Amino acid sequence: MLCTPGEHRVTRRKFLGASAGAVGLGALANPAVADELKKQRRQVLFVWLDGGMSQLESWDPKPNTPFGGPFRSIQTSVPGVRVSELLPQCAKQMHRLALVRSVSTQDNSHSAGVDRIQRGDPKNRGVTYPYFGSAVAKLVGAGDSGLPPYVWVKPMSGGFIYKHAGFLGPKFGALALGDGKPPENLLRPKDLSAEADDERNELRKLLDKEYAANRRPELTEANTHAFEMAAQLQKKIELFDLSKLPQKDQDRYGSHDLGRHLLLARRLLEAGVTFVKVTSYGWDTHGDHFNGAASLHPKFDKPFAAILEDLADRGMLDNVLVIACAEFGRTPRINGHIGRDHWPEAWSVAMAGRGIKRGVVAGRTNDTGTDVATDPVDIGGLFHTWFRALGVNPEEVQYRNAGQPLPIAHDDMKPVSEVLA
Amino acid sequence: MPRTILLLALLCAAPASAAEPLHARVDALIGAKAKGDGVTLSAPASDAEFVRRAYLDFAGRIPTAAEAKAFFDDSSKEKRAKLIDALLAAPGYAERWADAFNVMLMERLGDHAEWTKFLRDSFAKNAKWDEMARAMLRADHKDTDRAGAAFWLVKRLENYGQNPVDYSALTRDVGRLFLGKNFQCCECHDHLTVDDYKQQHFQSLHAFFKNTYLPSANKLIVGEKPTLDKTAFASVFTKVQMLTAPALPGGAMLEIPKLAKGMEFAELPDKKTGAPGVLKFSPLKEVSERLPTKANADFARNGANRLWFLLLGRGLVHPLDLHHSGNPASHPELLDLLAREFAQHSFDIKFLLREIALSGTYQRSSVLPAGTKEAPHAKYFAVALERRLSAEQLLQSVIVATGADAKAADVLRPKFVKAFANQPREPEDEVQPSLRAALFVLHDPAVLGLLEAKPGALVSRAAALSDAEATDALYLALLCRAPSATERAAVAKVLAKHADKRAEALGRVAWALLASMEFGVNH
Repeated sequence: MLCTPGEHRVTRRKFLGASAGAVGLGALANPAVADELKKQRRQVLFVWLDGGMSQLESWDPKPNTPFGGPFRSIQTSVPGVRVSELLPQCAKQMHRLALVRSVSTQDNSHSAGVDRIQRGDPKNRGVTYPYFGSAVAKLVGAGDSGLPPYVWVKPMSGGFIYKHAGFLGPKFGALALGDGKPPENLLRPKDLSAEADDERNELRKLLDKEYAANRRPELTEANTHAFEMAAQLQKKIELFDLSKLPQKDQDRYGSHDLGRHLLLARRLLEAGVTFVKVTSYGWDTHGDHFNGAASLHPKFDKPFAAILEDLADRGMLDNVLVIACAEFGRTPRINGHIGRDHWPEAWSVAMAGRGIKRGVVAGRTNDTGTDVATDPVDIGGLFHTWFRALGVNPEEVQYRNAGQPLPIAHDDMKPVSEVLA
Repeated sequence: MPRTILLLALLCAAPASAAEPLHARVDALIGAKAKGDGVTLSAPASDAEFVRRAYLDFAGRIPTAAEAKAFFDDSSKEKRAKLIDALLAAPGYAERWADAFNVMLMERLGDHAEWTKFLRDSFAKNAKWDEMARAMLRADHKDTDRAGAAFWLVKRLENYGQNPVDYSALTRDVGRLFLGKNFQCCECHDHLTVDDYKQQHFQSLHAFFKNTYLPSANKLIVGEKPTLDKTAFASVFTKVQMLTAPALPGGAMLEIPKLAKGMEFAELPDKKTGAPGVLKFSPLKEVSERLPTKANADFARNGANRLWFLLLGRGLVHPLDLHHSGNPASHPELLDLLAREFAQHSFDIKFLLREIALSGTYQRSSVLPAGTKEAPHAKYFAVALERRLSAEQLLQSVIVATGADAKAADVLRPKFVKAFANQPREPEDEVQPSLRAALFVLHDPAVLGLLEAKPGALVSRAAALSDAEATDALYLALLCRAPSATERAAVAKVLAKHADKRAEALGRVAWALLASMEFGVNH
């Protein structure tokens, strides 16, 4: 069993008001400063295909082989690189993408896999490591948005998911927007006017100022930070209203969950959120896999290609690291239910954007796709790659947990240099 | 010089010459360390600070305006001691300390009416801490008067989703909450950073609990399978096979009796009724008789340290679950003294709480000493630390202040817990303002509804008064004090602006007080 966050707890107060929000609200008033800050943004879009997308029907097709399945491969915008015909839109974005086709990880079960992959599988040091989103929230910070650094757009329920933060402490947990909806109580009640709201908050601030004047300031600062974040998030309420966007955008992304959620992700990234995770469920196709893939993959293909295009159009791909990942791939062998099962030994991860070479493929699998034919890349190596792409060097940067230095990525692993720009 | 004072204090602490009451000895030790390190103590808390603090600690809520006023008007010299004794004797004491112990011992794993009853009954009759701990660890289903005590174990023996029962977490919690020692990192090897914590400690403690199980879902009954052999374990580093019988960490191993197969039970389990039977050798019985005792220094020190924490906001040993030689108490003599007195008074919680509350250390202001630039380190207890209020303390305070009827509390309780409590297994041991709580206070209709004008409500009562009187009434009801000149002027401005909609304006003023940092903590 791992040690709890409580055991090695950092003093959360130290972070409150300090790392997040400190660049803060005042700076935004000045447009020149705001533009400069935007250019310096380091952001991540992390698309999580929960259950595991088949690499054979996506990034690493093997048509006309024993395990290849019925789908063909198609040309992409990069000569010589082919992907499954189920990803026609992504194929057109290949010149912006980097694929790692030699991903080989350890866990065959969902429960272990999701945790292990998203925590980057560091060596066991008796602490619970943060999810990638919490890690980036800590290492990169909240930036200039005034919004929480780690926002998770997902189907079903939302809330404040502290557990992702591991030993970093709840501050770095995820703000989960269930079905893309804003957090509970975000909206000011209709019968409370903006003016009345300001008035009561001014009084509250005055009280807090009086209170903190001759006491330890840290707690009041933390409290102020929480209220400021609430205020900032309220001002961004229009983020959640996708109906005001051009119909063309809504059509390009699609009206299904992942389409709407990726469109919201684009809006959150534009607003400056540091880390946006978008989860899509239902990829665990143990039975009737090929009909499943024919229905599922377009739901990823269309909005993922759309967001790559939009980020590129807005000049944001230089700032935003984009990753499409899952807890594992799917078995080459087709089971008795015409399904593919869990396959961590040989699968693919796609990435693009900040710090990533464009239009490249790293690693390959053997002819039948059953195993990697080049050096296997475990999730620790991908964490090294992603941190470096964000300008955080794992050789130099460490976590400090109650005085104990801890590496941010698996210390025996190396980045995939072929995909690093 | 400080050393001499400490020595004197120690001598005084010896039972034979204990002329001074315990609270005076507490102050002597706290004062000596502060003096030795050149730390200035803050002034005594004002009556307003004290009355609020005492009610929150011993009644689980802020005082009503009438209660606060009665205290201010009392001119007797012993009025603070009198108030402490009155609150300790009032029914609110059992409710407050049942809540405090529930939060501390269950860490939001769940609630159960029987468990609440066990805690309330215990505090109402001033059951001793060893007796309470024994009931929790024993989980004797035949002890029907205290059936709820089993909830502590039952909740930790449940499956969590699809995961198997987390026996390691159970062992960890026994160590953390009853002994003040977190052996979690010693399950697979000796602790890497704490020399005192050995794998043997984890494994021998674990051996008491590893054969426990839940015979039936939804019942407060813990079953035990026979323990016939020692537990085998090996460090992941040395791979050397070791054996241990149940033992308290660092204590002697129990003799596991040799019982012939089929002869393990004095009373056989009954599958039909779900009765778990009675073992001839029950590790639960053993641990419940050995762990919560005067002979076990860890038990006394942990208990004293946690009660100190609950009233002062920080343990003498801190974090609370890391008692070891590399993490000594901030005031070692004081912890020894409190632990010794606690044990000598048969682990009488009320006795120790009373002595701590009578101390000048407890009654210190949270306002920094005049001219101080930087607050002294919390470990000096030189300035009162702001303490977190539990969801229940906040709820009861809001109810009392706004004049809502008690029935409203039942509707509001789940909302308050959701907004202010931590996630399960996250100890609530520091103030943690959160976005979730801020949004709740800002916008939740349940909160805003309390500040609307309706018969008997605070805002309506204030609306009948002049502006100055109304301001005083809101401040007294919510913050137990009078407004400062700046505050009074700001409120007056708001009220003058909205003379036509005065009740609404008063509601917003009341909201600002309720949403303030000052209302949200025990300062």
